[in-house]
Amino acid sequence: MVITKRPIMQTLSTRKLVIDIPGRPDGYPLNLTIEAGQVWGVLGPNGAGKTTLLHTLAGLRAPRAGSLLLDDQPTGSLKRRAFSQQVGLVFQDHQDGFPATVLETALIGRHPWLSPWQMESADDVAMAERALEALDVLHLKDRLVSTLSGGERQRVAIATLMTQAPHTWLLDEPSNHLDLHHQVAVMKLLTERAKAGNAIFMCLHDLNLAARWCDNILLMYPDGEACWGPAERMLVPNALERLYDQDLQTVEVDGAPFFVPKRG
Amino acid sequence: MTRSLLPPLLFLALASLLAMAVSVAVGSVALSPLEVLSVFFGNAEPLQQTLVLELRLPRTLSAFATGGLLAVAGALMQVLLRNPLADPYVLGLSGGAAVGALLAMLAGLGGFLVSGSAFAGALLSTFLVFGLAHGTGSWTPSRLLLTGVVVAAGWGAVITLMLAISPARELPGMLYWLMGDVSYARTPWPGLLFLLAVCLLIVPLGRSLNVLARGPLQAAALGISVRPMEWLIYVLASLLTATAVTMAGSIGFVGLVVPHMLRLVLGNDQRLILPACALAGGTLLVLADTLARIVIAPEQLPVGVITALLGVPTFLYLLYRSR
Amino acid sequence: MLICRRLLLLVSFAFLTFGGSAGLALAGEVCARDDTGARLCLDQPATRIAALSPGATELVWAAGAGEQVVAVVDYSDYPPAARKVPKVGSHTRLDMERLLQLQPDLVIAWVTGNPAEQVQMLKDLELPVFSIEPRSFEAVSDTIERLATLAGTETDGFVEADRFRRGIAELREQYASAEPVPVFYQVWDEPLMTVNDEHLIGEMIQLCGGDNIFGELERLVPRISTEAVVTGNPEAILAGGMGEENRHWLTRWQAFPQLTATARDNLFFIPPSLVQRPTPRMLEGTRLFCEKLEVARARRD
Repeated sequence: MVITKRPIMQTLSTRKLVIDIPGRPDGYPLNLTIEAGQVWGVLGPNGAGKTTLLHTLAGLRAPRAGSLLLDDQPTGSLKRRAFSQQVGLVFQDHQDGFPATVLETALIGRHPWLSPWQMESADDVAMAERALEALDVLHLKDRLVSTLSGGERQRVAIATLMTQAPHTWLLDEPSNHLDLHHQVAVMKLLTERAKAGNAIFMCLHDLNLAARWCDNILLMYPDGEACWGPAERMLVPNALERLYDQDLQTVEVDGAPFFVPKRG
Repeated sequence: MTRSLLPPLLFLALASLLAMAVSVAVGSVALSPLEVLSVFFGNAEPLQQTLVLELRLPRTLSAFATGGLLAVAGALMQVLLRNPLADPYVLGLSGGAAVGALLAMLAGLGGFLVSGSAFAGALLSTFLVFGLAHGTGSWTPSRLLLTGVVVAAGWGAVITLMLAISPARELPGMLYWLMGDVSYARTPWPGLLFLLAVCLLIVPLGRSLNVLARGPLQAAALGISVRPMEWLIYVLASLLTATAVTMAGSIGFVGLVVPHMLRLVLGNDQRLILPACALAGGTLLVLADTLARIVIAPEQLPVGVITALLGVPTFLYLLYRSR
Repeated sequence: MLICRRLLLLVSFAFLTFGGSAGLALAGEVCARDDTGARLCLDQPATRIAALSPGATELVWAAGAGEQVVAVVDYSDYPPAARKVPKVGSHTRLDMERLLQLQPDLVIAWVTGNPAEQVQMLKDLELPVFSIEPRSFEAVSDTIERLATLAGTETDGFVEADRFRRGIAELREQYASAEPVPVFYQVWDEPLMTVNDEHLIGEMIQLCGGDNIFGELERLVPRISTEAVVTGNPEAILAGGMGEENRHWLTRWQAFPQLTATARDNLFFIPPSLVQRPTPRMLEGTRLFCEKLEVARARRD
C-alpha cells in the first residue's frame, strides 16, 4: 500500500504534561516522546484517563499543566488545520452524525489538506478508496454508516484516519468491536504504518494485543501514577498485576509473554 | 465529487425558472402565455402589465426568496444539531421572530426595525432551545424536539396574548404572522440578495459543514474550530429565518421537507445540499403559493396552509422512521 | 369632516373661474376626506366602485351608487342585488388580480378590516382608495354623504343619509327620558363577548335608555366570563350572532334563574345583521332594540 503524501518526520512530545480530569488530583507529569516508527500501547484500568490523555494529545482539550510539542514547537502556536495534518485521532465511540455513506465518511479525512474553495480531487477519492480497501470495507463504500455493524464502523473510522494521513496516529481502543481476524489485520496495518515512518499511539484494553504488537508501553494507574518505556521493560507481571488489581499468570508464546488472569 | 455538483444544481435552477414561469402565468385572472410574454416585451395592455409586473412577479420572487431562505435555514440547523428533524418552525425560531416583529409593530416601529426585532426574536429562540436542550449531554433528538415544541408553543401563546390585547386596527395585519402568507410581502429584493449572499458564503464553508455534521469532536480532530463555526451557523440560520419571517410571516415545514427530499436524492454533501435547498425551497414555495392563489379563487389561502399540509406528514414519517 | 359637494364646485368653477361651459371639464372633480384623514379627489364621480367590506357595500348602495359597484367581497349579502356583483376574495385576504381586472375607479376600504399591506399596494398602484369606518350614528349618515359625493349620487344619497339621521334623532328623543334598564348585549357565545360604551352598539344601548353592564370596560369588544354576567345581573339580555337562527344562545341563561333577565324572561334575540353592521339598517335594528327594552320595562311589575 502506498501513501501518496509521505508524512514529514515529526515528533509529538509532552513536557511535564498533566492531563485534566475534573475532580481528580494531578497525576504524574508525563514526558513522552512519540517518534516515527514507534508503536505505543497505553494500558490501564477503566477510568485511568487513557481517553483523556489521547484527547489532550490530539489538542481537543487543554492539559492542566505542562505542554505539548510538535518537533519542539508548542502546538498552541500551530493552526488547528496544520496540526491536524500532523496528528489524527480515532475515537473510541462513534458519534452518530448525520447520515453519510462510507466513502463520504472516509473522504472527510482529506479536510485538513484542502483549502476552503477546493473540492476533493480524484486523487483524494482514490486515497480514500485505498484506505477503505486496506480496512476491508471498500465493498461497503456506498452504504450508510448508520447501517453498519460496530466492527465495520470501527474499520471505517480507521480508514478515515488513514485517509487523513497524519504523521502521528492516535487511536482509542482500535480493536473494539473487531473480530479476531480483523483485530490482527488492524494491528498488522498499524505496525506496517509505523515501519513506513508513522508514529502509532493507541489505548488498548487487551494486554496481549499490546504485548504482541507494541514496542513502547505507557501504564496509567488509577491513582494518577504512570510509567512508560520499552515494552519488554514495562510488561512485567508485577507492574501489570498492580495496574489491573488482578493476579496474572504468564506464559511464553513465540518468545513473547502472554498474560492470563489467575483463577479465583 | 465535483462531477456530481453542477448537473443537479442546473436541473434545480431550471425547475425553479419553470415554477416561476408557471406562477407568473397563472392567476385568478386568466392570461394566455402569449399575453404574459408580451408583457416582458413591453407591448401589452396596461392592465396586463400591472397584473404581471406589479402583482405576480414580485409575489413570485418573494415566495421564491422566502422558500429558499427557510430551506437553507432548516438545512443549516440540521447540520448544526445533526438531526434531520430540525426546522426553524418546529424549533420555535419562526415563532420567536414573529413575536419580535409583532412587538416592533405594536411599538409603532417600521421597516428595518421590524426585521431587526424579528432577528432578535429568532436568536433568542435558538438560544433558549439550544441552551435548554443541550443541558449536560448532547442534543438528543427527543430532548431537542421537546424543547423546541414547547418553546414554539410558548411563542404561540405570546402571539395570541398580543393579538388579544392589541387594538383591533392592528389585527388583520398581525394575524398573517401566524399563518404565513406571501401576499403581504412588500419587496422581494432584500430576501433574494441575502439568499444569494448566504449561498456564496456557504460554498467555501460547505466542506467544513460536512465535517461538522460528523460530530463536534471528529470535526475538531480534523482541524475545525468548532465553537466559532457553530456560532456562525447559528447566527446565520437565525438571520435567514428572521428575514423570511419579516417577508411572509411564519411559514412552516419548508425547512424540514426540502432538505429531507434533497438528501434522499442527492446525498449529504452540504456544498451541494445547501445551494440545492435555496433553489428547491424557492421552487416549492412558488408552487405552493400558486396553488394557494388559485385553488379556491377568488378566495386566497395563506401559503402556510399548503406547506403545513405537505410538511406534517413528512415530519411524522421522519419521526416514525427515526425510532 | 370636510365635504366638497359637487354642486358647490360646480358653482364656484362655473361662475368664478371660467364662466360658462369652459369650466365643465374640471367641474367634474369631487373630493372627500376619509376616516384615516386622507383627502381624496376624483376628476369625475366614480363609475366603477369596489367595496372591500360587506358594510361598505351596503353603504355604497345606501348612497344610491349600487349600480356603480363592480366588486364586492365575501358576505356582501345586502342588498340582495349585491350578491350578483363579482367577488374579489374576503375582506381579510383580497384577490388583487381580480380587483385590478375589474378596473375600479374608486376603492372603498375598511380601515381596520382590510390588511394594511394590501391597501397600501392598491395605493401604490395609484388606485383611488377611500378608507371608511363609521363609529357612530352620525358617522353612518356622514359616510353615506361622502360616498354619494364621490359617486355623484348626492340626490339619492343625501336623502337616505337624512332619513337615517332623522330616524335616529326621533328614537333618541323618544327614549331620552326612559327608565334605565341594565343590559347585557351578547356579541358571541363561545367565547362570550360583548361591547363597551364606545362601540356603536353601545351607543345604541344608551340611546334606547339601556345601561350596558360592561360599558366601562377598556376594550371595544371585551371577552367576559359567565360569572361576570351573573354578577352584573342584567335586567335584559340581547343576543346577536353570526346567522339569524341562533336563539339557542339565549337558552344558556335559563340555567341562571336568579338573573333578573331570566326570571322575567327578558331574553331577546336581535338579528345581528340589523345591528352589527354600521349601515342604515341600524335604524331598524335600533328600533327593535328599543322595543325589546320597552318590553323589559313593561315586565317590571
